[in-house]
Amino acid sequence: MDKQTLLAVLQVLKKYNLKDTELLLKKEAHVTEDEVKAEPSASGVTDVLAAYKSEGDPRRYESFYSSLKNFIEKSLDIHKCELSMVLYPVFVHMYLELVYNHHEQQAIQFFYKFSADQEWYYQEDLVQLATVTKAEHMAGNQLLDNFKGSKFTIRMSRDSYNHLKRHLLEQKLNILLTIIQDHLFIDVFDGVPRTKQQIDATAGGMCGEARREANKTKVLYGLLKEPEINITVEDEDEGQETDDKPKKKKAKKDSQLNKKQKHDPNAPQLTRIPLPEMTDQMKLEKARAFKEGLRRINLSAETLPSICFYTLLNSYHGVTSVDFCEDSSLMAAGFADSQIRVWTMTPNKLRAIKTSDDLNIIDKEADDVYERLMDDRTSVDCRLLCGHSGAVYATSFTPDRTQMVSCSEDGTIRLWSLLTWSNLVCYKGHNFPVWDVHFSPLGHYFVSCGHDRTARVWSTDHFQPLRIFSGHVADVDTVQFHPNCNYIATGSSDRTVCLWDLLNGNCVRVMTGHKAPIYSLIFSPCGRYLASAGADKNVLIWDLANGDLISQLKGHKDTIFSLCFSRGGALLASGGLDNIVRLWNFSKLLEDHENESTVFVFFFYRNESSAYEIMSYPTKSTPILSLHFTRRNLLLATGPFKGNS
Amino acid sequence: MADKEKKEGKVDGCVTSECLKVMAESIGIGNLPDGASDCLSSDATYRIKQIIQEAQKFMMHGKRRKLIPTDIDNALRLKNIEPLYGFHASEYTPFRHASGGGREVFFQEEKELELADIINAPLPKIPLDITIKAHWLSIEGQQPAVPENPPAVSLDAQKLEALDPNVKASILKPKAKANLNPVKTKHKVKIQEKVKIKEVTTHEMSVEQQLYYKEITESCVGSDENRRSEALQSLATDPGLHQMLPRFSTFIAEGVKVNVVQNNLALLIYLMRMVKSLLDNPTLYLEKYLHELVPAIATCIISKQLCLRPEVDNHWALRDFASRQMAQVCKQFSSSTNSMQSRVTKIFTTSLQDEKAALASHYGALTGLGELGTEVIKAFILPYVKPEGERLRYILEGVLINNADRISADHVKQTLLKVVPPILKITRDSPDDLEEYKQEFGYLGPTLHQAVVKLRQSPSSATSSASNPVMSVFRPSLSISQPRPQFVLQQSTPSRPSTPIRISTPGTAGSSGPQQKFVIVSGARPGTTSGATPGTVFPSTPGTPSAGPTLLKVVSSNPGSNPSSQKIVMVSMASTSDNTTSSNTDSGIGIRSIFSSENKPS
Repeated sequence: MDKQTLLAVLQVLKKYNLKDTELLLKKEAHVTEDEVKAEPSASGVTDVLAAYKSEGDPRRYESFYSSLKNFIEKSLDIHKCELSMVLYPVFVHMYLELVYNHHEQQAIQFFYKFSADQEWYYQEDLVQLATVTKAEHMAGNQLLDNFKGSKFTIRMSRDSYNHLKRHLLEQKLNILLTIIQDHLFIDVFDGVPRTKQQIDATAGGMCGEARREANKTKVLYGLLKEPEINITVEDEDEGQETDDKPKKKKAKKDSQLNKKQKHDPNAPQLTRIPLPEMTDQMKLEKARAFKEGLRRINLSAETLPSICFYTLLNSYHGVTSVDFCEDSSLMAAGFADSQIRVWTMTPNKLRAIKTSDDLNIIDKEADDVYERLMDDRTSVDCRLLCGHSGAVYATSFTPDRTQMVSCSEDGTIRLWSLLTWSNLVCYKGHNFPVWDVHFSPLGHYFVSCGHDRTARVWSTDHFQPLRIFSGHVADVDTVQFHPNCNYIATGSSDRTVCLWDLLNGNCVRVMTGHKAPIYSLIFSPCGRYLASAGADKNVLIWDLANGDLISQLKGHKDTIFSLCFSRGGALLASGGLDNIVRLWNFSKLLEDHENESTVFVFFFYRNESSAYEIMSYPTKSTPILSLHFTRRNLLLATGPFKGNS
Repeated sequence: MADKEKKEGKVDGCVTSECLKVMAESIGIGNLPDGASDCLSSDATYRIKQIIQEAQKFMMHGKRRKLIPTDIDNALRLKNIEPLYGFHASEYTPFRHASGGGREVFFQEEKELELADIINAPLPKIPLDITIKAHWLSIEGQQPAVPENPPAVSLDAQKLEALDPNVKASILKPKAKANLNPVKTKHKVKIQEKVKIKEVTTHEMSVEQQLYYKEITESCVGSDENRRSEALQSLATDPGLHQMLPRFSTFIAEGVKVNVVQNNLALLIYLMRMVKSLLDNPTLYLEKYLHELVPAIATCIISKQLCLRPEVDNHWALRDFASRQMAQVCKQFSSSTNSMQSRVTKIFTTSLQDEKAALASHYGALTGLGELGTEVIKAFILPYVKPEGERLRYILEGVLINNADRISADHVKQTLLKVVPPILKITRDSPDDLEEYKQEFGYLGPTLHQAVVKLRQSPSSATSSASNPVMSVFRPSLSISQPRPQFVLQQSTPSRPSTPIRISTPGTAGSSGPQQKFVIVSGARPGTTSGATPGTVFPSTPGTPSAGPTLLKVVSSNPGSNPSSQKIVMVSMASTSDNTTSSNTDSGIGIRSIFSSENKPS
């Protein structure tokens, strides 16, 4: 933080009369009272805008931009692509300078002359930019704040960079030089300039590409060591099985356990993040999951899964989210009219816990005490949860299925008990619509994200967030917990995917390449890969070890809202507004990647995505809002029927 | 608002300053200076765009493609602006367009409502509760063809396949190339042929499909009417029949070939009903199979002989029915490339031009042309009215009276009287001169004149609008009062087995036993239903509104001489006559219920 900004912050604190904070900050930053006073009072936040102040002749902007364009077109082919990346940010900042300096006509003229030249993935931003034609509009516009506040990052080889610098200095193009110095961050690397394809694959972020050093931190993407309690519970459970089976299974299980006990160098320590205590119920659940996992069909391109589709009828376009619980026994749907409905997917009905009077008389020593807690008279197939006052944008179950969180347009996150079927806690903090919420794979923690451009991690027993992850420059649309609970991934409207460390709140990976907002994220079961998808209709696969883009899966014709890895991670399923469930061969993709990674210095790009698409299954008129693989690898899909309208 | 948003994506829409002035006036600010309104309009444009951009986020998170008023409200709330209340109601807002004086306006029509009406209105129905329905989207990788899933090959895909030049090219190319330069491209051709062969051989039916095929074809031509209607229903509605389509079309084509020779009327009718079902199936695209189906249908329309006893059996109905199917085919598949309609028209006219052709063929050609629409009738039937009339006169009034010919001639006449008058009514001016008619149409002139005059007198039926003018406009021309030639039904001529090749040359006597009944179905057209006689049903196309009740008239041709043995039942479209007698025709008519379909009262 440079001094200027610090002073600006202090100014704000003073303005809002936050004396304690001001003092504290002064003390920490070692700013003396004199320095604050020396700064003229105008150094408010708005002052940052003044960076656009310029005395330049408005008529010269066009010629400057044209000359830059000509220069780039005439330069060598290997540099051309890299250099052309400069054009977009320069264009934007020139336009903003014109607007800021009240040259409205010239600004509009400038915009219409050159906006069509920009890459297609910037057009959406340009539409927004075009609405700003007056200096008064510049304050408070989110997009402009991003351009002002953060530098547009461009990766460029040293050769190209020197080429550009030399040209600018020789021609004395002052305006261009200032813009490039003030508003651009050129991340220079040594090596061969990149090709157009390589650039296009990672371009598209609202603030340019990710800086290289942003992805240098080591990410412990390995899975956590399985706790050992499994063995005892497993034995008890398997006693009920037929006699010949347990032996086989035991041998298998032991081998699997042994494998896991070998320490994965990429796995974080169990104690890195304080994890919740395993309850008895969780242990039982683990054992059940393990047992069912043994009966799992191992999917591949040859053995495809069956897909069971649950169509929500009569929903009147009101379904905003659907979620399955881990063992596929429950399904929750959030509605635009702020309801949440929970359905049971099994013959077991949804029961409520007995009243306190009745609970007093049950035998607490009995073996089936959990069973006795429940009141059979209350069993129904579908439960309605009311409490929110806005559309419910996401729901998430705890792994033990006793609780559920939901987030809503009203800015709150609510925790529901699935025993009493009532609201337990209302977490307030986002203040703006909350777009997504997810429980951690072990429960207790959950993460949320929303319109306020932050993601937050909460624990169920605190009403305030434990961590706030800020850094995105637009809405954070989706969030996901890493299987080892140490990281979260966020996808945002600024077209970046970020990975954050839960321990210290740092952003450890920034991944650019999406060309539109991201609406769905999923970690591979092994923890190393991340798949993301959204409005740009592509599924992108990232390697978290280094933040590289591995592949781009093209095929969908509309926004993708749902992704899911099969158990075991051999297949990836995707679905969205184009009413098609697609299956991708993820194991083949990884195989190819490993074979090729040594050959390609930067990455892939030859990997034709169509080679990985296995099948697509269209529905009649039902967009796919949720996909979920059961423990035995049956794929469940859901969506509301939209009819012909 | 959705529309507005869409427009702004394309063009740079804005709130104009005139617009702002109008708004200012509406709240009582009279003279807004130009500068102020300009300034305000640009600001309003900016703010509105900002709000719509925010609203889009809510749309996307609502998993929708359509921006709704609630999204705008939410966006306003984000900006700390009070939402616009009262715009929640309708899910679809119709915007109307009005232009004038060089300006274009989109507005939303708002009706004034009586408060009392709203208060007194009964409560609306409770909307259906949300339910979950489960189905298999895929079973071990294969998408089952259940109604919940879309058809395996969509109509568009089938269409594309039929129209894709590559598909055709792959069939045509090797031959063409081999002919042109056999030496040069021999190697290439070989490769292409290989590819082609592979494509052709991959066509296999699964065991289930084979079973289905067997079941359906057996039911369709079998004797059990219930099974048949079920099978036809299945053909008309089931998705995923695409793969079996070549088999079905071959089945129909071969079936028609065989049964025309055998003169098996019933089977021909069954096969035509299969054609109708296939045409009705919304998931099938038949274009690739028309080369088999069209000849089959055409055969059923203009073949000389379709049944063993032409003067007894109602092959007219089959011709009518097949004509309608042909018209349907033309309507669905005619395009500039295949020129289906003109080819079909040509078939019919050639048959019509052939003076030696049987009258039955003429009848078929006339009905076939009649179904194709006004223009076709004008161009192809009108010129033939006169020569046809002469021929009819020759038969009807001539000396060589032959019963079969007489019936045929009568049918042809009725068809002409049915098809031509509506056209004449449109094309000719009001005072209808009898002499002119006589001159132009010869023998049929007077009757046509009479029919046209009658048509003009009742304008109501002419305006009863329907999509097809011919079908809806024509009025019953067949009525009891009409002078008609006597039917001579006394047959003592020995019945001669009719040869399949040619029988109905003038002079060839048809055979008929003493216990003969005639069913003359005239004017049977889509949508006509008969409620009077149980079991007497007529061809109908589901969906076409029925134009008028069909009346059954019993005419004993000669009450004195032989009342018990002869009955002629004429089914006409006499919607005006009121003295109807319904008669129960008895067993002699075997084919009357063949055209039945479920949606008819029976």
